[in-house]
Amino acid sequence: MPPVQRRSVVRKPARGPSVRASHAKGARAEPSKPLAGKGRGSAPSRSVVRKPARGPTVRARKASSRHAATRPTRLPKSPASVTAPSAVAPGIAIGPGAPSVSSWSAASPGPGDQAWNESQFSIPAGYGEDRIVLLVKDPWWLYAYWEVQPSTERAARGQLLPQDIPGLQSVLRIYDVTGIDFPAQPAHRSFDIGLSGLATNWYIQTNAPGREFIVELGLLTAGGRFLLLVRSNRVMAPWFGPSDIIDENWLTTDEDYWKLFGPAAGIGVGSSPSAWAKLAPQHLFSPGWSSGSLWAPNRPAAIKGFWCRVNTDLIIHGATEPRSTVVVQGQSVAVRKDGSFSLRLALPEGTQAVTIDVTSPDGRSSRTVTPVITLAWTGALSPDGAKPNPQRSDMPRPQDLTPGSLP
Amino acid sequence: MSEPQGFLALVLHTHLPFVRHPEHADFLEERWLFEAITETYLPLVERFERLANDGVPFRITMSFTPTLLAMLADPVLQARYIRHLDKLIELSAKEIDRTRWLPPFHRLALFYHHRFTAARQRYVDTYRQDLIRPFRQLAERGCLEPIASCATHGFLPLMDVVPSAARAQIRIGVEAFEHAFGRRPIGFWLPECGYHPGHDRYLKEMGVRYFLTDAHGVLFGSPRPKYGVYAPAICPSGVAAFGRDLESSKSVWSAEEGYPGDSEYREFYRDIGFDLEYDYVRPYLNGDGTRLNTGIKYYRITGKTNDKQPYDPDRALEKASEHAGNFMFNRQRQIEFLRAAMNRAPIIISPYDSELFGHWWFEGPEWLELLIRKVHFDQQQFSLITPSEYFQRYPTNQVLEPSMSSWGNGGYNDVWLNGANDWIYRHLHHMAEQMTQAAKAHAQPDPLTRRALNQMGRELCLAQSSDWAFILKTQTHTGYAYRRLHDHMARFTRLDDSLRQRRIDEGWLSELESKDNLFPFLDYRVYAEGS
Repeated sequence: MPPVQRRSVVRKPARGPSVRASHAKGARAEPSKPLAGKGRGSAPSRSVVRKPARGPTVRARKASSRHAATRPTRLPKSPASVTAPSAVAPGIAIGPGAPSVSSWSAASPGPGDQAWNESQFSIPAGYGEDRIVLLVKDPWWLYAYWEVQPSTERAARGQLLPQDIPGLQSVLRIYDVTGIDFPAQPAHRSFDIGLSGLATNWYIQTNAPGREFIVELGLLTAGGRFLLLVRSNRVMAPWFGPSDIIDENWLTTDEDYWKLFGPAAGIGVGSSPSAWAKLAPQHLFSPGWSSGSLWAPNRPAAIKGFWCRVNTDLIIHGATEPRSTVVVQGQSVAVRKDGSFSLRLALPEGTQAVTIDVTSPDGRSSRTVTPVITLAWTGALSPDGAKPNPQRSDMPRPQDLTPGSLP
Repeated sequence: MSEPQGFLALVLHTHLPFVRHPEHADFLEERWLFEAITETYLPLVERFERLANDGVPFRITMSFTPTLLAMLADPVLQARYIRHLDKLIELSAKEIDRTRWLPPFHRLALFYHHRFTAARQRYVDTYRQDLIRPFRQLAERGCLEPIASCATHGFLPLMDVVPSAARAQIRIGVEAFEHAFGRRPIGFWLPECGYHPGHDRYLKEMGVRYFLTDAHGVLFGSPRPKYGVYAPAICPSGVAAFGRDLESSKSVWSAEEGYPGDSEYREFYRDIGFDLEYDYVRPYLNGDGTRLNTGIKYYRITGKTNDKQPYDPDRALEKASEHAGNFMFNRQRQIEFLRAAMNRAPIIISPYDSELFGHWWFEGPEWLELLIRKVHFDQQQFSLITPSEYFQRYPTNQVLEPSMSSWGNGGYNDVWLNGANDWIYRHLHHMAEQMTQAAKAHAQPDPLTRRALNQMGRELCLAQSSDWAFILKTQTHTGYAYRRLHDHMARFTRLDDSLRQRRIDEGWLSELESKDNLFPFLDYRVYAEGS
């Protein structure tokens, strides 16, 4: 088991300069790793988050900019209902990597309801509450989001003395409350994360699987006085690793446990605690063999380098008296009501003689024409000399096939 | 036949988010359902029926989400599916002509034309557009164990802060299952295998006997599981958790090592919707004319090259047979090993997304049928089983509390909680609380208020689909996911406001009821009970 680790805090990216407390040491702690490569804070996602709230938020920020450095985030009190027509239309935020694929057109307003237009609804930035909610991301990380009303903050500031104002900072205080009736009893330990004024959510690295946490948002004076604004719900980070508790009715030795662990975890039989330590946690349980295959299959690694495809189709088209029959190479072609017909044929390399027989409706007159088409390619579409329209000689000829003979 | 040394439980999770837009004549994302019917659901039903008719005894467990059940039973989508198939039949007929001088492709055009025509015949004539019925019949024949899932695939670990919402997802899910299958579900698929300790109690309330978790849900449970994931873990509530076996999962799921990446199998990413001349395929594209996958694909994976070779269904079938044999052989060895390590017969739980079979891995349904046949005819070491049957053989199991877990990348909540989608929870939690308050505030509503409350429940559920968070993360179709979240929030908020102001616009409510028409049985009081 890893020792109880010192916690480190990695500030959420894309929110300004990084503020770090101590780095954790230990088998499971790689402070920056869980963040990397997961697209957190990427530009497209930001635009998704912020877009709906842009209008009101900008105004709110201006109003409080004087205190931006010392205040917790101020969420505009926006009505959780129909927004004014002047509000920014939410639109559809699409990242540069995500082509527009939806076939939405303008939303149709409901009949008999001219006043309310669904597409005008703007997702509110907040709900006019004092609230902080704590969620578990994984055994090492938590996530908190919050909103605090200006009146609540004013009330807290009212308790301050003039000398408290310089250096006043809004902080998240994270308490380890494992097995404790908090706040009636003191927490095992706590640590603070200093916030910039605009943050309304934070990823918190605790590096403490199996521990319980409560978070408080408050104001911290330079003298160390903490004024509580809101307190969160309690969460428990999942334990990571085999439990130390063994049921005497279901006794199992370490050896037996690890014997069954290997195949279950997909790392082969005969695994051992040391093999496990090498793998965990980045490689275990993270292959992503799970949902979403229908609309987001894992695209294979893109093939590097320039590529192109060229194909040739031949279109034969013509017209005759309506209700005539047209046969191309022995196979009839549909003649439209106006007597016109057309046929598209994929054209391979080589020479094709295309016999076209046209017969009048009464069968008395007919014409036969045979255009001869030769296609020859020079050059190649890829460095290994691949030609268009690949064919394999071991394939059956089409005339050998009928639909019934296929699987 | 001698007593088997072990058991294999194949579990197929069958889910699509609710996508139904009667307000548009043609809607791109509705194709998710159409493609899944043609490529997965019909092929699976056909193969299971064939196995049953051939007298091959087999057991398979399948979850069906309420959103999918609602769409399969919806007349608008049923009619649109037939229209979709008719277009494919027309296009494949043109392809038969066009490929006349290219034998490998001509053969495939015939193959597809036959496939689509047969699919139409089965869907319309055999099943009369009701695809739930054949699955129900397979259940009645004892081959299939259908299990339930959450109302709209809500990801429960991130819903735990509003327990009434997590509980309602489960209760509505069970109710939807009863409407479709005419019986109580024995088992339950937690969306994304997302387990939060304590949620088993909600399952218990509904009479559910078991659910599934990812491997570490059980392996890291406490006390330490004596049998790993190879026997059920009984939660404190009495409901059992069956943990996924990753060794068998890997061979099907893994893009690198898994069977579906074999060079003989059909290449998913080469489709005539992208490959052929634009004007020719334009009539088969959607309204906006963006190229898309039609389902007609002519190439095999070939290798790590752009120079793909034509697909050969016969060779692919041979490969599927070989892979089925390999899978069976590996399970035999695995069971041999496990049997020696345990003093009883292990159960290996192999869960997959149903849509993996056929849609993504084109030959998957053939592989599955061949595997089932081989397991029955070619060996006696293990047999197929459903989790509930395993109970009957081994009623005594270890009590332990499984660990919070999911089967998403990373094994926890990361996929549904990250920089691309974390903003949604502020709103989803708020809505869930508003819903709970509204439900508690209206004990005796008039009929119109009752309708508004029920519709609020539907809008909340639809916003909670884990699919939207997932799509925001994967950055495909993000515009659509965002729009869906937005619209359900808008509708919910307006309903909530209408209730407060005691002014419900009935015309608008009726329109919502016909648009988001799933769960006609939903009773808003589910949000007022308990907790």
